[in-house]
Amino acid sequence: MKLIRRLFGQQAPETPSSLPSTESPEAAEDSALLKETQPLSQSAQPVVQTRRLTPPKSYSSTNRRVRVGAASDIGGRGNNEDAALTLITNTEVTGNPPPVGIFMVADGMGGHQNGEFASSITVRTVAQAIIREVIMPQLEERDMNSADQKTIPEVLAEAMSAANTAVQLEVPGGGTTATCAVIRADLAYVAHVGDSRAYLITDGNLELITRDHLLVRRLQELGQLTAQEADAHPQRNVLYRAIGQSDTLEVDAATRRLPPSSRLLLCSDGLWGVIGDKRINEIVAKYPDPQEACDQLVAAANDDNGPDNITVVLVQMPD
Amino acid sequence: MGQPSDTRHIEDNQGALSVPDGTLQPGQVLQSRYRILGIIGLGGMGAVYQARDLHFPNVTRLCAVKEMINMAQDQKLREQTIRNFEREAEILATLNHPAIPQIYDYFSFGDRAYLVLEFIQGRDLEALLNSTDGFLPVEQIREWGIEICEVLDYLHNHQPEPIVFRDMKPSNVMIDHHRRVRLIDFGIAKMFQIGQAGTMIGTEGYSPPEQYKGIASPAADIYALGATLHHMLTKRDPRLEPPFSFDQRAIKEYNPNVSDVLASVIMRSLNYDPEQRYASADAMKQSLEATGTTPAVASGVPNALGSPGASVPVAAALPVVANRPASTPSDAGIGNITPIWAFQAEDAIRSTPIVVDDTVYVGSYDNNLWALDAKDGELRWKFATEGGIGASPVYHNGTVYIGSSDQRMYALDARAGRRRWSHKTEGKIFTTPAVTMGTLYFGSDDGRLYALKSTPTSAREVWTYSIMVPLRSSPVVEDDLLFFGSDGGEFLCVDLSGEMKWRFQTRRRIMSTPLVREHIVYVGSDDWYLYALDIEQGYPIWRYRTRGAVISSPTFADGKIFFGSADGNIYAVDALSGRDEWKYEVNHPVTSSPTVHREAVYIGAVDGAVYALHSRTGDLLWRFQSQRPILSSPRVANDVVYIGSDDCHLYALQA
Repeated sequence: MKLIRRLFGQQAPETPSSLPSTESPEAAEDSALLKETQPLSQSAQPVVQTRRLTPPKSYSSTNRRVRVGAASDIGGRGNNEDAALTLITNTEVTGNPPPVGIFMVADGMGGHQNGEFASSITVRTVAQAIIREVIMPQLEERDMNSADQKTIPEVLAEAMSAANTAVQLEVPGGGTTATCAVIRADLAYVAHVGDSRAYLITDGNLELITRDHLLVRRLQELGQLTAQEADAHPQRNVLYRAIGQSDTLEVDAATRRLPPSSRLLLCSDGLWGVIGDKRINEIVAKYPDPQEACDQLVAAANDDNGPDNITVVLVQMPD
Repeated sequence: MGQPSDTRHIEDNQGALSVPDGTLQPGQVLQSRYRILGIIGLGGMGAVYQARDLHFPNVTRLCAVKEMINMAQDQKLREQTIRNFEREAEILATLNHPAIPQIYDYFSFGDRAYLVLEFIQGRDLEALLNSTDGFLPVEQIREWGIEICEVLDYLHNHQPEPIVFRDMKPSNVMIDHHRRVRLIDFGIAKMFQIGQAGTMIGTEGYSPPEQYKGIASPAADIYALGATLHHMLTKRDPRLEPPFSFDQRAIKEYNPNVSDVLASVIMRSLNYDPEQRYASADAMKQSLEATGTTPAVASGVPNALGSPGASVPVAAALPVVANRPASTPSDAGIGNITPIWAFQAEDAIRSTPIVVDDTVYVGSYDNNLWALDAKDGELRWKFATEGGIGASPVYHNGTVYIGSSDQRMYALDARAGRRRWSHKTEGKIFTTPAVTMGTLYFGSDDGRLYALKSTPTSAREVWTYSIMVPLRSSPVVEDDLLFFGSDGGEFLCVDLSGEMKWRFQTRRRIMSTPLVREHIVYVGSDDWYLYALDIEQGYPIWRYRTRGAVISSPTFADGKIFFGSADGNIYAVDALSGRDEWKYEVNHPVTSSPTVHREAVYIGAVDGAVYALHSRTGDLLWRFQSQRPILSSPRVANDVVYIGSDDCHLYALQA
């Protein structure tokens, strides 16, 4: 049955009546019962426990797809300790599984090469888990609509925790931020630790959707420091939470609906700390192509003599 | 400004555990007097050694030798470092308190300076905490807290100027072999490191927020003592938590042995605002002492209800409602509030009342659908079915619809209670119909979902959708789609022509009625989860695990989803992420479904109480106690909460 469906797609003889009764032990019994009690013109559906396969949507233009741009630059440092990853599955197959995307930025820290190891291990570990637990089940046509399937927030939380363990084991002197967004259909699931950021850009408005785990920001939230004091504080770069720093890791989680044509921007502090929200928004608005926007953002930070690595990922939602 | 010594900079982490070059070896003798026996600890600036004082050859006099290796490159910084170390020595030399180690000697040569101190036999609190399974005795921690207050008070009253300890934390408090508190590591010589480039990791742990303005006052020591006691009692290490977040970790949540008063003393010392903490260590000491003399029940804590003594036995206050079928139970409704009226049916009321045009409609297991005056509970009419009513009525266009365990769905004239029509199914009906465009949708225990076209005088079956297992989850209609669960654990999305769009399989039966909000459908399952499913395709967006069946139907307000669980809690979670907002512990199963009205969540529980909770915080606003479990769900109209109870009453309570 599966093979036929794969070979012939919608042409497979797949009317409910032709389904083997093994599909649902209740089906035969059910339709017998329906005959008795259904004097109705519009008869009830027999129980079909598979999801109906609707014909694939065709993507007439690129604006029907999720698109992405990404750039990472060494900036004003000796090495690039940032890491990034983008992956989109725009599948055009029967059943119309929703597009799934993985987008990540990680900013490593620690002496020698520890920073870049920490950020890379984190990006790899998290992406592997999402591919294994979210994308593969979808491609294998496993029943996604079941309590046996983990939800994306659960997968993300486990993935970040696995990254935390991996960094502790493999890079004892290192740590990293991690901002990861998994997009399925129009929902973005964001997991976040550290001071990299995720912004949602809708109709020209830039909205920060992550919280910096910076000590001075926390003090600012408590009203103990003003914004100016925080920005000038000698410890303004001190994080109070990062991957690889303790056995238990608390991860911020947020879920946002992404409106049509909106953009999701992930970046390291080498971008936002140098050019600021206003200019980020201006540049993104100016360049409709997400890759070009990313290149221009990095260029702007370099033009301002940004002292740190600069990494940016920009997701463009379909119209 | 004090640099907390537990701040970790990743750059410094490497090799921190290995013994640095130049560390003194056992057997080495300093000043021809102190023979090094071994290392006690390693600090940022050098080691602390155990040594023997050779001036007393006939007895073993032990001492602690604290070493400071000046590694500062900058000349000014070098001098500053030495001055600070000398200052620590000088201060210690002037102190005389049993909890403060005595200083015996101070000397320096080359890059190194040494303090010779009394050797304290014992363990520090951090080591003690880490080696204890479970909690240390609360009383013991309280006594240590009092002793620390005494020594802090001594330091803070030092003349000519107060001494601020600045580094109160478990590892700086020793418990000696007499089980007395001793402060170690007078962390005065700590230098503030500046000019570090790049992102770093640091945790603040025990220090107060004002240190970031460079303020070190006695109030800082009080905060740090509070943080130390918090850590000792909860076993939650503040260095692993967001800075200054003690108020997010209620002590009793981790350690139920701690009294409310003791917890409130500690939380006061942890106030962000130094002015709001105890004015002195002595004041804190007195409060800690007072916690021992009062019983563990809340006494110093303000009553969350604001009006202690407001509970009045309701029998005295219950208005007598005319035409009630039976008398008021003599001691019903004990709680913080008294009902506006109570109506007694002849059997349990589990049905959710509805209020339309000053009339309350509710079903009862006494077979009747009751129509009562919403103002005073006076009987308007009743309609007797042939079975108990557990389902809830629905009003539509002058008609009240109600399902009964006599297997029929009834349509009644809302004014007079006359039957317009009834429709027989093959099973008991416990679901509440969804009505849209003149069609009624409801499930029956016969395993079918019915679509009935309703006219004023008759009903016609349009279709039925069979799933062979009883349906107890009431359908809801949204965007021309029907959503309902089954006793087989299946959750279904069916369009209005009876065609399945998608399904989602939970692990146990679904009794909960779904809620649709902004393209997400929420439903509880007996498998302990509340699910949030995508409305288009049914895949899970998130799920929230409780520790009991979620029979309660979720409700939405202000971005939050509210529901109860058989695990004895009422939950508020973020609607889009499923993140915890708050949880209220009832300690009895909650199968009733919440309703939200003006920032208050109303819900019943099996303990027989109706709870009114603040929707933002989960704080208890009031509680009303009925005689029997409450399985009915509240409805609010004109600021009155209507809810039934298994004690046979329908209560009208002021919202």
